[in-house]
Amino acid sequence: MTDAQSSSANILRAHAEDAYADELQALAAVDDRPRPPSWRLSPWAVATYVLGGTLPDGTQITPKYLGSARLVEMAVATLATDRALLLLGVPGTAKTWLGEHLAAAISGISTLVVQGTAGTPEEALRYGWNYARLLADGPSRAALVAGPVMRAMETGSLVRVEELTRIPSDVQDSLITILSEKTLPIPELNEEVQARKGFNVIATANNRDKGVNDLSSALRRRFNTVVLPLPDSLDQEVEIVATRVRSLGTALELPADLAALSEIRRVVTVMRELRSGVTQDKRTTLKSPTATLSTAEAISVMTNGLSLATHFGDGTVRAEDVAAGLVGAVVKDPVQDQVVWQEYLETVVRNRPDWKDLYRACRDLESSN
Amino acid sequence: MTDVHVLGIRHHGPGSARSVAEALASLRPNLVLVEGPPELDAVLPLAGEVGMSPPVAALIYASDEPRLASFYPVADFSPEWVAIRWALSTGTPVRAIDLPAAHSLALHIDGGPAAAPPSPPSSTSPPPSSTEEPSGAEPSSDPSQSGSPPEVPVAEAPDGDTRPKRPYRPDAIGMLAQAAGYSDAERWWEDAVEHRDAGPADRFEAITDAIAEIRAVDDRPADHPDVVENVRREAAMRRLLRAAIREGHGRIVVVCGAYHAPALVPANFPPAAADNKVLAGLPKTKVSATWVPWTSGRLSLQSGYGAGVTAPGWYQHLFAHWTTRGSTADVASTWLVRVAQTLRREKLDASTASVVEASRMADALAAVRGRPSPGLAELDDAAQAVLCEGSPLPMKLVHRELTVGHQLGSVPESAPTVPLAADLAAAQSRLRLKPSALEEVIAIDLRKPNQLARSVLLHRLALLGIHWGTPTETGRTTGTFKEAWTLSWEPELAVAVVEASRYGTTVASAAATFVAERAQDADSLTDLSELLADCLLADLPDGISSVVKVLAERTALQQDVPPLLESIAPLARTCRYGNVRGVDVTEVRRILDAAVVRASVGLPTACSGLDDDAAAVMRRAVDSAQHGLSLLPELSLEDWHRALAAVAGSDRIHGSVAGRATRLLLDAGLLDRDDVASRLSRSLSVATPAPQAAAWLDGFLSGDAVLLIHDRRLLQIVDDWVAGVDDEVFEDVLPLLRRTFSVFSRPERREIGEQLSRGTAPAQRPGDTSSLDIAAAGPAIRAMARYLGWEASA
Repeated sequence: MTDAQSSSANILRAHAEDAYADELQALAAVDDRPRPPSWRLSPWAVATYVLGGTLPDGTQITPKYLGSARLVEMAVATLATDRALLLLGVPGTAKTWLGEHLAAAISGISTLVVQGTAGTPEEALRYGWNYARLLADGPSRAALVAGPVMRAMETGSLVRVEELTRIPSDVQDSLITILSEKTLPIPELNEEVQARKGFNVIATANNRDKGVNDLSSALRRRFNTVVLPLPDSLDQEVEIVATRVRSLGTALELPADLAALSEIRRVVTVMRELRSGVTQDKRTTLKSPTATLSTAEAISVMTNGLSLATHFGDGTVRAEDVAAGLVGAVVKDPVQDQVVWQEYLETVVRNRPDWKDLYRACRDLESSN
Repeated sequence: MTDVHVLGIRHHGPGSARSVAEALASLRPNLVLVEGPPELDAVLPLAGEVGMSPPVAALIYASDEPRLASFYPVADFSPEWVAIRWALSTGTPVRAIDLPAAHSLALHIDGGPAAAPPSPPSSTSPPPSSTEEPSGAEPSSDPSQSGSPPEVPVAEAPDGDTRPKRPYRPDAIGMLAQAAGYSDAERWWEDAVEHRDAGPADRFEAITDAIAEIRAVDDRPADHPDVVENVRREAAMRRLLRAAIREGHGRIVVVCGAYHAPALVPANFPPAAADNKVLAGLPKTKVSATWVPWTSGRLSLQSGYGAGVTAPGWYQHLFAHWTTRGSTADVASTWLVRVAQTLRREKLDASTASVVEASRMADALAAVRGRPSPGLAELDDAAQAVLCEGSPLPMKLVHRELTVGHQLGSVPESAPTVPLAADLAAAQSRLRLKPSALEEVIAIDLRKPNQLARSVLLHRLALLGIHWGTPTETGRTTGTFKEAWTLSWEPELAVAVVEASRYGTTVASAAATFVAERAQDADSLTDLSELLADCLLADLPDGISSVVKVLAERTALQQDVPPLLESIAPLARTCRYGNVRGVDVTEVRRILDAAVVRASVGLPTACSGLDDDAAAVMRRAVDSAQHGLSLLPELSLEDWHRALAAVAGSDRIHGSVAGRATRLLLDAGLLDRDDVASRLSRSLSVATPAPQAAAWLDGFLSGDAVLLIHDRRLLQIVDDWVAGVDDEVFEDVLPLLRRTFSVFSRPERREIGEQLSRGTAPAQRPGDTSSLDIAAAGPAIRAMARYLGWEASA
């Protein structure tokens, strides 16, 4: 962590392969297991890198993904075959995060990314043209601008496609040839790019807007699907939030005191209760808001609170620092969610003796509006 | 010198079974000894008979107390089964060695502190909750359960321990697995032992040595119950083994759980006298043994008698594969093909190309996890990621259908059956009701003699505690001639049959005797009445007469009114329908008459000073009595109505009961509307506390809304009262009011609401002429009168 900090001191967020370069190096040094072609590490070492552990030489590998080891093993095993990997889950379940670290560990590069949007053109998945050259010299390899997928095919590395289901269906389907025949035809030049060994695709997609551009079954068949769940237990989620907030805080140079884990626990509890529609003690049924309230949102609420406490408070995160973020995370729809939040505030938060400060902070927020 | 080979196996391990088969084929012993109580010797030969098909379980029960029973489930892939079948097919003598069940069951009767209480729930004890998520990360994350699954889940009482199996086997395998760095003992065994292609005899010697090391570090005190038990069992095994050696067999093979292997190597034997001392003076009881059919579901951990096998279907697959092809090469892909077929049967896509991909992914996963070949965990994960698009739901289906499976074993006809079981089997084949492990719903039309007989049989079995069928909703029909039952034959029912056999030798006689005994022991009138109703359904005239006799005594002595009231309905039903079934009801009728009189006398006093809960009980009892009485129109209800009138007329009686009594009298036509209106008005007047008024209203109105809809005066009174209730009190009575009105149907409520919203128009009751404009109506009245032939003069 400290190394990463010094080497990329002025960068807001370092790539995984830079931030954890020392860990990757240590792993490569002890890794004597067979590696698939073009892999920087063996599948075992990749799994260890993601899940954390202690190497025989004493190096501590920090866990990157706190959750089921089985899922990570499945993901790594998928990439070792020639099937592509589809990480599925609701927003904020560390799909992108896991994808980035897998790419960093396996190919040593996590920057080959296609961000899927409703307007992603086919060029983004295939290649574009340098039009000046195209007009001057006609179609040639020199006038071709390779996209991330094409570059990954040429170098035999992993390419990530984010939010696959946001991409229009006809564009999605251009992945089929790439995934099944591992070639990218360039009809304009009557050429093709054949993928080198080690090429593979990690796609992420969102359960929530599954219906937007559902994958065609032909494309779906080319993916192995791993569903990333929301954390099962409160403690696990608190740990995830604490770990991430601490590392984000370091990156953002927010030296606030995070010892007050109780605030994290409270935020996570609120999120979990609203998400599941029932209080932690299973006594009271609640309405659920439209927001997902994933772990990622808990992390952002806490980071926000941390920043408030550092710059405007005494450095200790208190109820008033997280209240605004919390309300903002829960109330996405001003009418519907407002009712849900009010109900929760009055029936649950108010009745918890040690939550008085949070209740007051949230009420104050309202009256000031 | 006799040559003794000890094969320490993993119970229900297909790999062990294969190794045992190989070892037996190469050693060709003159005598085979398997772990199990020696009482099983008598029934072991049945294992070779036609009609015996695993999964089955050897059942040993105490003859005098059949509820005490032990099961020894075996499947095709159980090493013991393989050894027994090999011996029987080659004509080699085979015997069981262990502590005789005569002792082990007797020990439970006499009981140490934690031993069986008088009624060990052997047949119905729920599984100690080890429900396993089929797609979970660790198929069995608790090494102590998977480590050494016992073949003998003895049906002892759970003594508070959530894992009743644990005392029987110290987790030696778990320790070996831990030493090898495995978190899951099952996986270790599969990798290190069962997936190993080494020679069988060497393998067993290596295991014996390893276990000996583990036993050497066992530091539990000698008086630990598990240790005591284990010492006894091994002493008994050695005693039988010594006897076998003395008989002069040339070569003996002993098949036993791996943990016991080191103790059974003759070179390590302690002196015989020491063993005899351990076994001296143990209590004894008489036991009987037989075979019962078992199911694959029961073999799995999730069930009460679980044999500790998480995946019987998978083991069966492994075993079948090894025995037919003899290689582990493509076990995985054939399994995945079966997974795909299962999914296709449920109309889920599973292409051949996906199967290929899944099989590759399973191999890759095995590599990532450092295992020599893919196991069930890898195959499940691969199937989920490739064939099920990551969704756990189809995997649940695969788990149920394939990994566990629905196999139901069968035992030959010649297996010793308890007489009751034989009678039951005869009835089952006569009525064409085949016992099946799969749940099945049957509808019975009681008007057809054959179907009526089915109903009777099921009711009798239910009485005897053999819950093969459970009554279910009949659906839309309200007719009384239909019954629906859910049938599901669980293996424990075999125990229940054995247990019930002490009541009689046929289903009918056993049920009748059982009812007579229950009637004597019944401590409440309600129980007796229900018993009576059950007898009626189960067609047990003998049972009815014995229940009635007890009932006659009890009603006379009964002080409490509600139970008396509640006994009226079943008695009335018996009178009404008993005739149809050929039961002599005169005695029942006499008791009924007496019960009605007693209840009527007691009712007014019993109703005073009731709190809310007691009032609810009383009201239910009154309602049930009224319902029962309405079944017998010829019954004189004078006393009953007088009692109700006394209740309705008293101001000291809880509103709920008083209101109900008023309503019943109104329905019976004993009160007229005006009277009722004044009573309602009085009950709802300002001086009456609002909650009490609301209770009265609830009692009065519950049932149907016709009264309110058609009598606007009553509605008006209610409306005025609701409008006049104080705000604070209104909050208190609101729930009660809501409850009262919520039982009305939606159109009824709407009608009431509409009437109220039309405003407080003057009541339009016939005869209420105050608001009529006689002058305007004059011509019409005159015309009407003319039609009717009256001479108009108005």
